Amino acid sequence: MTTMVEAKTQTGAETGFQPRIVAFVCNWCTYAGADLAGTSRLQYAPNVRIVKLPCTGRIDPLFVLKAFEGGADAVLVSGCHPGDCHYTSGNYHARRRWSIFRKLLDFTGIDSRRVFFSWVSAAEGRKFADLINDITEQVRAAGPFEKANPARRRA
Amino acid sequence: MSGMDALRSDAAKLLRDGAVKMVVGYRARGDQRVPAFLTDPDKADALTYDADCKQNLAAYLRKPEVRRHLPLAIVAPPNVCRSLVLLAAESQLVDGEVKVLAVGNGQYHGVLDVAGVAALLKEKYPDLAPSEELVRKIGELAAMSPERRGAFWMEQFERCTRCYACRAACPGCYCTRCIVEKNVPQWISTAAAPHGNYAWNIIRAFHLAGRCTLCGACEAACPQGLPLMLLNVRVAQDVEEEFGAKAGYDPAAKPVIGSWSPDDDDEYMR
Repeated sequence: MTTMVEAKTQTGAETGFQPRIVAFVCNWCTYAGADLAGTSRLQYAPNVRIVKLPCTGRIDPLFVLKAFEGGADAVLVSGCHPGDCHYTSGNYHARRRWSIFRKLLDFTGIDSRRVFFSWVSAAEGRKFADLINDITEQVRAAGPFEKANPARRRA
Repeated sequence: MSGMDALRSDAAKLLRDGAVKMVVGYRARGDQRVPAFLTDPDKADALTYDADCKQNLAAYLRKPEVRRHLPLAIVAPPNVCRSLVLLAAESQLVDGEVKVLAVGNGQYHGVLDVAGVAALLKEKYPDLAPSEELVRKIGELAAMSPERRGAFWMEQFERCTRCYACRAACPGCYCTRCIVEKNVPQWISTAAAPHGNYAWNIIRAFHLAGRCTLCGACEAACPQGLPLMLLNVRVAQDVEEEFGAKAGYDPAAKPVIGSWSPDDDDEYMR
């Protein structure tokens, strides 16, 4: 996490605010989708740090809190479309968990401009690139989360 | 309360007959109401119950030092009854382990088992609702900008000393090793610093999502006066709205977080 905080985007400070977005993605769909975006040479914003996990069902709410603690401006959680889970039902479990957790985050000051969820399959390289570009722009518009982030580690 | 004598004599009878080894109830100590752990039938007159009995005694049922005395009887107002039904639904109570001396609305409802408690709740207390004051406050918070909401909660959580009294008071917090005590890796900082306090309070509320019976014991136990019920009630409202589930009414209920349906709301997914 410390390295994440210190990491600078390639374009760095000279172009102003560069959002830091942490993406928790599943190994079987979204990670493969991101891979496809790469091998297809699709350009997308360099603001996302991908953390690969076996399944969205493995993504504990604690991961999201840890990312915000480390200074993330936004978090993306992404996995297989409903019905496509490699482990049959991991994404269904995840969907139910996030439906409550995202509201709890919103109620305590981490609103929906900072937390994103998506289904991206292994064939959707284009969708992944567009998604990253889109949420990067949204987070850029929302501005740095530093001051308002209630979960952030200070000092 | 009417029926106080009947409650005392039932407690004494259960102990005398050997139906239970211990009665967990409330007794008066000055102006305070404190838990009573009775093993002697002749002392059953010490039992009392009134509106000041705020502690949720069901929290003791998962403690090994109390479980040594199973089977036992427990004095339970409606919110505690809900906790008992929750524990039964989560396989934390075996049928027959616990007899319930149910009280509520200034009445004594007699000695019940878990199924009896569930029936009583359904019949007499189907709409245990949070106070209007709480609901109003939640509405106010929800109407604020996210920045102001975040600032409100930062201010609240700043006072948390991480004593975990909220956890100790809660019947739903029965993990023998809580996530906050797992330190490889340390997901939740144990320092009483803002980021650890935020993570702790959010995760505590989330781990009780669909499980909290809104008894208010955590908030009553908090020495710093954190408004924990704002979180608990908000989450319970979300759970009820999304999944139509209310914790502590059905002993056969599936856990809300931990089960799923293919028809769950997909609207927030991109």
